[in-house]
Parts: sequence; C-alpha cells; structure tokens
Amino acid sequence: EETGDDESYDQYGKGDFMEHACKYCGVQNPACVVRCNVPSCRKWFCNSRGNTSGSHIVNHLVRAKHKEVCLHKDSPLGETILECYNCGCRNVFLLGFISAKTESVVVLLCREPCLSVNALKDMNWDLSQWCPLIDDRCFLPWLVKVPSEQEQLRARQISAQQINKIEELWKTNPDATLEDLEKPGVDDEPQPVALKYEDAYQYQNVFAPLIKLEADYDKMMKESQSKDNVTVRWDIGLNKKRVAYFVFPKEDNELRLVPGDELRLRYSGDAAHPAWMSVGHVIKLTAQEEVALELRASQGAPVDVNHGFSVDFVWKSTSFDRMQSAMKTFAVDDTSVSGYIYHHLLGHEVEMQMIRNTMPRRFGAPGLPELNASQVFAVKSVLQKPISLIQGPPGTGKTVTSAAIVYHMAKQGQGQVLVCAPSNVAVDQLAEKISATGLKVVRLCAKSREAVSSPVEHLTLHYQVRHLDTSDKSELHKLQLLKDEQGELSSSDEKKYKALKRATEREIAQSADVICCTCVGAKDPRLANFRFRQVLIDESTQATEPECLIPLVLGAKQVILVGDHCQLGPVIMCKKAARAGLAQSLFERLVLLGVKPIRLQVQYRMHPSLSEFPSNSFYEGTLQNGVTINERQSSGIDFPWPMPNRPMFFYVQMGQEEISASGTSYLNRTEAANVEKIVTTFLRSGVVPHQIGVITPYEGQRAYIVNYMSRNGALRQQLYKEIEIASVDSFQGREKDYIILSCVRSNEHQGIGFLNDPRRLNVALTRARYGIVILGNPKVLSKQPLWNSLLTHYKEHECLVEGPLNNLKQSMVQFQKPKKIYN
Amino acid sequence: DDDDDGGGGPPSDEDEEFHFRQKITEVDPREEAEFDRELRALMQESLESRKVEQRARPTLNMTIPMNIFEGSLKDHHGRGGGEGDSGDETLDEEDGGNKEVRVKVLVKRGNKQQTKQMNIPQDCSLVRSTKQKEAAELEE
Ligand SMILES: [Zn+2]
Ligand SMILES: [Zn+2]
Ligand SMILES: [Zn+2]
Repeated sequence: EETGDDESYDQYGKGDFMEHACKYCGVQNPACVVRCNVPSCRKWFCNSRGNTSGSHIVNHLVRAKHKEVCLHKDSPLGETILECYNCGCRNVFLLGFISAKTESVVVLLCREPCLSVNALKDMNWDLSQWCPLIDDRCFLPWLVKVPSEQEQLRARQISAQQINKIEELWKTNPDATLEDLEKPGVDDEPQPVALKYEDAYQYQNVFAPLIKLEADYDKMMKESQSKDNVTVRWDIGLNKKRVAYFVFPKEDNELRLVPGDELRLRYSGDAAHPAWMSVGHVIKLTAQEEVALELRASQGAPVDVNHGFSVDFVWKSTSFDRMQSAMKTFAVDDTSVSGYIYHHLLGHEVEMQMIRNTMPRRFGAPGLPELNASQVFAVKSVLQKPISLIQGPPGTGKTVTSAAIVYHMAKQGQGQVLVCAPSNVAVDQLAEKISATGLKVVRLCAKSREAVSSPVEHLTLHYQVRHLDTSDKSELHKLQLLKDEQGELSSSDEKKYKALKRATEREIAQSADVICCTCVGAKDPRLANFRFRQVLIDESTQATEPECLIPLVLGAKQVILVGDHCQLGPVIMCKKAARAGLAQSLFERLVLLGVKPIRLQVQYRMHPSLSEFPSNSFYEGTLQNGVTINERQSSGIDFPWPMPNRPMFFYVQMGQEEISASGTSYLNRTEAANVEKIVTTFLRSGVVPHQIGVITPYEGQRAYIVNYMSRNGALRQQLYKEIEIASVDSFQGREKDYIILSCVRSNEHQGIGFLNDPRRLNVALTRARYGIVILGNPKVLSKQPLWNSLLTHYKEHECLVEGPLNNLKQSMVQFQKPKKIYN
Repeated sequence: DDDDDGGGGPPSDEDEEFHFRQKITEVDPREEAEFDRELRALMQESLESRKVEQRARPTLNMTIPMNIFEGSLKDHHGRGGGEGDSGDETLDEEDGGNKEVRVKVLVKRGNKQQTKQMNIPQDCSLVRSTKQKEAAELEE
C-alpha cells in the first residue's frame, strides 16, 4: 500500500516522448514538424536537414514514397492537411503557393493540372510566381520552420544510412524504433561504452542495454535467494509495527542485505494457523548477522510460532528504472541540463566557460574546520566553473571541502542546491557537515528506509514532517496520532492524511537551502517538479554513469563531482556489463576527456609511515601529511611492531589457499589463525574492539574468520563479536585505528584475482590511522608489479617479517620477478 | 502536483553563453546524388500520373471570396493594436534584418472557405511581385 502510493506518481521522466517528435531526430517543436498523412504511417518528422541532404520530412517522403502531410495543430495554420485549393490534390510534390495579384492572399495550388488551366490567368491570381512547397529538398521554411541550430545540436544525429535502414524496417514493422537497429542479439556482447557520444540518443543506446543486463542479473540473483526453515523471533517496534528477527544465511557470494531491502516472510500454515505471508523492509542487521524485518501488515501474523518460516527476496526495479528514465530525459528534454553541460558530458568540444560570481572573502564556512591551502583552492576553482572534478584521496577532508562548496553555492541565491552520493552513509555524513554550517538541510530518505536509524534523523524529511513545530495541534498531527494508535485510518481519513502529508512534505522540502539524498533518491516522487541548477555528487567515482545522471537531469547548470578514481569504482555484478565498461564512472570518463581533477593533498588520517607507499604509488607522491608521528603514536599500547617508530609489518604466510564451501570464493586457514592471534595481542595490549578492523578481499575468508574467532578466540567471545570483519570493498570511505589485512591467495600457478586491482590495494592500505598488519604470501604476490613494490618497500624498512608474534624476525623470502604490465 | 516549479527559485531561462565548436557535417556526395535521383523520380511520377488521371480539365473554383477582403478590411482598420495596417505589414523579426510580411492563406474546410494569418519573409518571390505592384500602383 505504501509503495502503491510511491508508484502512483513515480512515473518515467516528464512528457518523455511527445507523440509529434521527429521520428528520426526527436525534435519536438510543433512549428518544425509535420505528420505524414499516409494512414498506415502517420509518423512525425521535422524540417531539419541534420546530416543529410534533404530535410527529415522530405527524406521520409522520398524513402517511403509517401506523398501527403498534415501540419501540427499548434503550427500557424493549425491542423491542416496540405492540399490544392482548387482540386484537393494532396501530393506535396505537386503543390506550391500562388498569391493574389493585389491582396496579400495566398493559396496552395497543384502544378498539374490546376496551375496550367488557362482560365486562371484571367482571374486575380499571379501564376508567374508559383512557389513550390518543397524547395531545395526542404519544405518552405516559413511554412514549416527549420529547428534552430541549438535544437538541432541537441537532437539525435541520425545518418543517411540509419535513415535508410529504419525506413526499410518500417516497411515490415511500422512501430520499430531506432533503438531496434542497435539491439544486439541475445548472445551478442553489448556495445561497449565510448569516450565521446554523438548525442544523448547514442549515449542512451549504449547505456540502456548495459543497465538492463545489470538489472536482469540482479533480479535473477536476488530472487534465487529464497530460504526455508527459517526461525523467527518476534518483537514490536517503537512505531507499534511488528518486527521479525531471523538469520538469513548468506552463501559466501556477493549478495549482501542492506537496510531498506524488501523481503517476503511466509508461513505455510499448520493445524492451528492458516497460511500467511507479509512483505517487510529490513530495518537493521545486527552484529550477529541477524536481520530485523519490519512488516508492512501484521494482521494474522503467527506470532506464537517461531519455526518453519520461509523468506524470499523481493526485487525492485526502481533504481534501474530511474537510471533509464534519467537517460531518456537527458535525450528528449533540452531543459534537463544546460547546453554547456550537455555537450561537455557527451565529450563534444566546448570552449571553456567561467561562471562570473562574486567570490566570497573567505572560502571556509561557519561550523567547519579551517580549510587548508589545497581545500581553499578547490572551493575557489569550483565556484567559478560549470563542471568540476574534485579528487579526494583517503583522509583528505573531502566531506568538509564539499560542505564548504555547498555553503557558498547556497549563499549565491540560485535556488536550492542538490547534494547526492550513491550510498546512504555518505549522504548522511555530508548532510551532517552541511547542516553544521547553519544551512537548512533536508535529508530525503527512501520510504523503505524511514524506519532505518540514521545519525541525522533530525534532518530527514519524514522526521521533520512528524515533528513540525506547530503551536496548535494541526490536522495532520491529529491524524498521525490516530494512525499511530490504531495502526490504520478510515479510507476518507487516510486520503486526507496523505494529502496533508504530501503538502507538508512539499512545504518543508521547498523551504530548505539544500536537499540531500542518494543519486537514485533524486528521482523520488516527493521531489517531482523540483529543479536544481547546482548539484554536488560525492563518491561519484562509485556510481555508474546512468546513476550519476539521475540528479543531473533536474536542470543542472553547475556540477561538482567529488570522488577518487584511484579507489574502487561502482560494483557491477553482471560480467558482461562490466566488460562493456559500465564500471567506469562519469568522473573517470571526464578525466579521460581531459578535465583535470582538483586534488586535495593533505591527509589527516594515516600515520606518516602508512601514507608513504600509497602516496608514492597512487598519487605521484603528492600526498602530504596533516598529522605528525606524535599524533599517531600508540601510547600505552604494547604491541610487537618490528620497528617501533613504524607501526606496520608484512607478516609472511605460507599456508595454502582453499576454495570455500560455496565454490565461488577462497579462504586461508593459516592466515585466519594468525589474524586471531594478532587481534588477541591487540586486545591484550589495551586496544578496544571498535578500534580494530579486519579486512580481506574474499567473502569466504571473511565468513571463515568470523567463525574461527568466535570459536577459537583466546579471550571473551563477546570481544571478538564486536570487531568489524569486512571485505575491502565495504570498508571504502571508512577508517579504523588498526587494520589487519588478510590477503588469502597463496598458490603456485594461479593468479591473485581480486588483489590484482591496484585500486583495491589502495583502499586496503589507507584505512588505518595508527597501524597496519598485512598477512600474505610474498612468493605469490610478488609476481604482480605493484605488490612487488609494496613488498620491497616493507623489506627496505625492515618490516617484512616471519615467525611467532612474540619473536618476529626479518624474512629472507625470495621475491619473484614481477611480470611486465602491458598497457 | 504540477502546481509550481519547486523550491528552485524562478527558473529564468536566460540565454546560455557557451561556445560550441560545431563539427562540420559533410554529406556523402554519393548519398546526395542517390537521394536526388529518387526525389526527381518521385516528382516525375507524380506529374505523369496527374496528366493521365485528369484528362478532363477541372472546373475552376478560384474566385477569391469578397468577404475575405471585407474581413481583411475590418482587420486592418477595425481592430486596434496597431497591427496589420498596410503600412506596418512588415514586421521586424527579433533576429533583425529579415523583414516579414503578413499574408492570408486561403484554405477550404470541406466546402467552406477560411483564411489563416501567416508571416512570410518579404524577400520571398511569392510576395515580392505583389509588393512591387502595390508600390507601382501607389506611385501612379
Ligand atoms: Zn509516411
Ligand atoms: Zn528531424
Ligand atoms: Zn489542383
């Protein structure tokens, strides 16, 4: 029901495909188009030549051998079939205008026979100036306007070959579209992404099939996750809604439940209970990997039963639909983004444009820490440009910088600023920082996540609606109380409640300076008709291009993409789509197109010893340290670092890797056992669990370590449960005081898989503030050039060690020659 | 739902200032020649078919209905607003230079005659001769 309300106004982009848009190029200005009047055709075409010798309408008429047309109802002559005034002939190839000799009156007359009738000469008409309707392969431009240069540039750039092909196709299938020409066969590899695109239609032709592939894969994978014999624990939430707790065992594949996901809980019934099912939203995942599911309807729930439930994943296409719709809007709606941004995003050559704004006197913002030089430089340059990229290496304060930028943009009075990121965590962090500057922030959450706890709850739209500060108790407030009490309202009250709520939501959202939501959330129906000229997207290197496009097509004139293309990109599950390049972010493509990212250069996270290798290997040595060795000294912690002033070591492991039970991942028992020893040593030395993070690239190893520590941990079990053990990928954007990295791969002949990606290594190495321990097999890892240089770096600093933890010794293990990299 | 444009402030669509280096689109000469051939063939075929079809000459029904002139007179003098007076029949287009003339297009809806107003460029041969004649008559 709640989602029903969601979907009722969650339609595809506004007025996407005007019926009268030119079937070739999409131009939809009524003054520029005519309809082919052949009953089996009735398609619209414009009077622009585009890249061909004749105008689109003339092209069509000639290729299809159609001869009659009708003007648009909003054209100067209204809906009119063009025909000879005298005989009614409708063949446009014969028609032309004549005018009266004295008055400014004109008529359409056919060349044959009417124009050659002698009697006409004696009348009031001037036959000598007969003016053909089609002249120079184009309709008379004063009858059917030629689209402006601007309109033509933003239209689909169709070629003569494409016109011939589509006309051929229309003969057998009149409803075929240009997209059908490009459609790959079932087994074909999709068309790969490009650096530049002719137009937004070509862009859409490339990306739409990739998004479709990813959506299909996602659906298939999630819907195959049904589980039977699930044991449920019942509870009631603060909002009086029924909550079911259960363990939804995940295979060690990539599927991860996240709050907001929808699951269906089923009970097949027994002697005392009828069959039952309900859908709910995941509101949290406990440390014990228990899922909390808030049910949408709790009537009839068998709450006195605990065993024998089944759980299915309910797949929703919303986010994929919104990407597709954003691409359509980008193509057909020329107000979706400014012309400059349109051409820039497609890789067309556009002359540099500066925004003339009065610059603020200082570039910092109230409530934020002072900015350093590279941050000030970033804020200053961004404010003057319509498109900018900010690269924020780990710990360089990109959230603070982003917040300062948003603060200054909001103060320019160009309307509300839209702030997005692909992940909810990043949106929350940014919303909090922006709010600290004193700006009015609304954080818009998906309806399915309203029950999910958030550190910025007071900024969320649903919270603000509920806690509206009204002196007299408003109607909405009363209805809300009633709904909370009774669980539901009468249908008339429900209607009233919804209308009031929608109006209030709108009012609050409109009064904000800044709206924060995920990229996908930017197309939320509650923001329908909102326009944003200034958009900042954080973590943009973790979003696919179509995802990034969602917040941009709401009228963007100034765009700031923040991210780091030297860290991990978006996760693409479908290999075919990934191979075709869907994993490349818009940020990266813009870099390839020559947009130079502004790099933040001072890192405030890592002990200087820890930042040295990442700085040299990933950031050309430009990363400076904003923290000193003293500030990152682990005082009072007694841990056996081989070099006391360098809190890092590579712990040589020779244990074998194994394929995990699922057959799709790896684990390494020796490394897991040593991880436990290291964790225990940290805990004994006075480090508390939340300071430690264990990361590994493999889900198989992650699950194995969780299990191993809870069974074999030398200390209290609870301590190990409080330690976060996660994949490298899920640790991106976060930090811990101490990081233990388990590499897993250890084999003679195979590759090192996941570890091959330099961006993953960068992320793994840059999470720790105070110290890092890496466990791995140097013999195997050294084959890869980047790992080889990492191992060499550790060895040179006498941090490559082996032996028991309480007696670590320099390792003399021989490295292999790194393979050459071919680019 | 479409009551306003959201909180985005009044969306003024001032002309964007940006420069786009337009790529030169070349039309493939072979394609152009082929297209021309087809277009001419279609013209030819249309003409031929008419000659065959319409053996009998059509009866002419081309008198300009007088009420149109009356209407146009009313238009010229009856309605205020300063438009349509034969003196200001030329309208300045926004982009300057290209003067336009207002004409009446005579069309038939079923059997009824109707006129519609339209602007056409002054340099169009269709009105040039009329204008010239008007000017000549005026001088006389
Ligand atoms: Zn047609
Ligand atoms: Zn067209
Ligand atoms: Zn005729």
